[in-house]
Amino acid sequence: MRRRTYLDRQRRAGLLFVLPALAYFSLVFLVPLVESVIASFYRTVPGGASRFVGLRLYEKVLTDSTFWQSVRNTLTLLAWSAPATIVLALIVALGLHRLVSLRWRSVWGAMYFLPFSVSLVAAALIWQWIYDPVYGLLNYLLSLVGIPPQKWLQSLDQVLPALAVTNIWVRLGFDTMVFLAGLQSIPGEYYEAAEIDGATRWQCLRRLTLPLLNPQILMLSILELIFNFKIFDQVYATTQGGPAGASQTVIMLLYDTAFKYFRLGEASVMAVFVFATLLAVTLVQWRFLRRPVEY
Amino acid sequence: MRRPPPLGRWLVVALVTAGALVVFFPLFWMAVTSLKTPPELQRVPLRLEPDRWTNLDNYREVFARQPFGRFLFNSALVASVSALSSALVSSLAGYGFAKFHFPGRQLFFFAIVGILMVPFQSVVVPLYLWVSRFGLLDTYLGILAPDLVSVFGVFLMRQAIEVVPSDYIHAARIDGAGELAIFWRVILPTVRPAVATLVIIKFMWTWNELFWPLVVVNSPPMKVVTLGLVSFTNMYFIEYNLVTAAAVLSILPILSIFLLGQKWIVRAVVMSGLKG
Repeated sequence: MRRRTYLDRQRRAGLLFVLPALAYFSLVFLVPLVESVIASFYRTVPGGASRFVGLRLYEKVLTDSTFWQSVRNTLTLLAWSAPATIVLALIVALGLHRLVSLRWRSVWGAMYFLPFSVSLVAAALIWQWIYDPVYGLLNYLLSLVGIPPQKWLQSLDQVLPALAVTNIWVRLGFDTMVFLAGLQSIPGEYYEAAEIDGATRWQCLRRLTLPLLNPQILMLSILELIFNFKIFDQVYATTQGGPAGASQTVIMLLYDTAFKYFRLGEASVMAVFVFATLLAVTLVQWRFLRRPVEY
Repeated sequence: MRRPPPLGRWLVVALVTAGALVVFFPLFWMAVTSLKTPPELQRVPLRLEPDRWTNLDNYREVFARQPFGRFLFNSALVASVSALSSALVSSLAGYGFAKFHFPGRQLFFFAIVGILMVPFQSVVVPLYLWVSRFGLLDTYLGILAPDLVSVFGVFLMRQAIEVVPSDYIHAARIDGAGELAIFWRVILPTVRPAVATLVIIKFMWTWNELFWPLVVVNSPPMKVVTLGLVSFTNMYFIEYNLVTAAAVLSILPILSIFLLGQKWIVRAVVMSGLKG
C-alpha cells in the first residue's frame, strides 16, 4: 500500500519536471507546425479574411519557376559547400591529430574553431569586404599575379561559389572538432596491429581510419546538409538574393513571400516543403546511423 | 605508432599552421580594416597595417550613427535570459527524463527529440501571427518567445543527469528532502559542467541569431546587434570601415566568452557530433 503511493508520487513528480519543457515545445513548435500545414490550404486576402482553396497553392508554388530556381540555387550552394567542408575538415583533423604536443593541438584547433563563434551576418560581411570588386583584398591579390578583377558576389556565376567559401570558413572548425574527437577515440592498438601486418600509411588511412570515422562522416553530412539547406543570414546580409535571383535560396524566398509580400498561404506551402524535405533527410540518416559501428 | 620521419612531421606542422593562419586571416583583416580611414581603404597598393593603430574614429562613428550601445545591451539581455531560462527548464526536464519512470516517458522524449527535425523557418509564420496577436511585436518578450528553451538542452541535460548515481537521490529522499530541493541541492551542483556548456552555447546562438529578430523587430531601439550590423549595409555605398568596426563590436563579447568557455563548447560539439 505505502509502496504504491510512493510510486504514484514519483510518477507525478517526473511528469511535473518535464511538463514546462513539453508545454513550451508544444506551444512554440507543434501548434505552429500544424497551423503551417493548415495555412498552406488557405489563401489569405489582405485584410485578414482567408478562403479554403485546397491544393491550389501547392500547384501554384510547385509550378512556379522562381521557386524551383531557388531550390536549384540552394542545392548548388549545398553541393559547393558541404563536400568541401567535410573533406577539408578531415584533412585538418588528420593533421592536428598528428601533432604530438597536445598543447599545440588545442591552440591550432582553436584557431580553426574561432569562426564558429562569429555570427553568420558578421562572417558574410567580412567576406563581402574581401570580395569587393573594386577595393577588395581578393581582387588585389589576383591582380598581383595578373588576373583581371572578378565581380564575385555581383556575378551570376561566381555568387554561389563565393558564398560557399563563407560557409566553409564558418563550418570548418566545427567539423574538424567532431573528426578530431572521433580520431582520438580510435584505440592506438589498431594501428600497431596494422603496422605489424605491414600496412602502409595510406592503407591505414583507407582501411582503418576512414571506416572507423564513418559515423562522424555520415553525421556531418546530415548536419551540413541541414545547415546549407536553411541558408538565409549570409544571403540576406549581402546579396539579398541577387544578382537577378542568382543567389535566391529557398528560405530567402520564404522570407520575402511571407514578410515582404505577405502571401502567407504560399509561404506556408514553402514551409511545409522545407519541413518535409528535411524530415525525409533525417529519416534516411537514421536508417544509416542505426547501424552499429563495426569495430 | 611509429614516429613519422622528421621531415614529414615538419611538413604536417607547416601545413596545419598555414591552414590556421588562412582561417584566422579574415578576422585579422576585419580588425585592421576597422582601424583604417576611408582613403586608406582605397589606397593602391594595399597595405596590411593601418596608418595609426590607435585610430578609433570608426568606432566613434558607429556609436554616433546608430544606438549601437543599445543594440549590444539588447543582445546581451536577450541572450542572457534565453541562456538562463534554457538551462533551468532543460535541467528540470532532463532530470525528469533521466531519473523518473512515468507513463509516456519514452514517447515524450522522442517527441522532443523529433522537434530537432522541425526547421524553425517552418513554424515562423504562425509564430509571428501569435506574437503579433499578443501584442508582443517589438518587445523583448517577443524576441525571446522561441528561444526560452532549447531542445538540444533537454538532450544534453538528460545525458548528464543520467550518470549521476541514483543513490544520491535516494539518500536525500530518506533525509526527507522534497523533490524540488533534491533537484536544486543535489542534481544541479553535480552537473555544473553540463549547465555551463548549455549556458555558453545558448548564449552564443541567441546572440548570433538574425532570422527571428528580423521578423519581430521594427523600431531601432529594439534592434539586436545582428540587425544593427545589417543596418550598416542598407545603403547603396557600403562604408566598410564602419561595417568592420560594428562587426568587431558585435564579435568581441562573444569571442571572449568563446575563448573562456572553449573547453565546454568543444564538449558540446563532440556530443552533438557523436550522439546525433
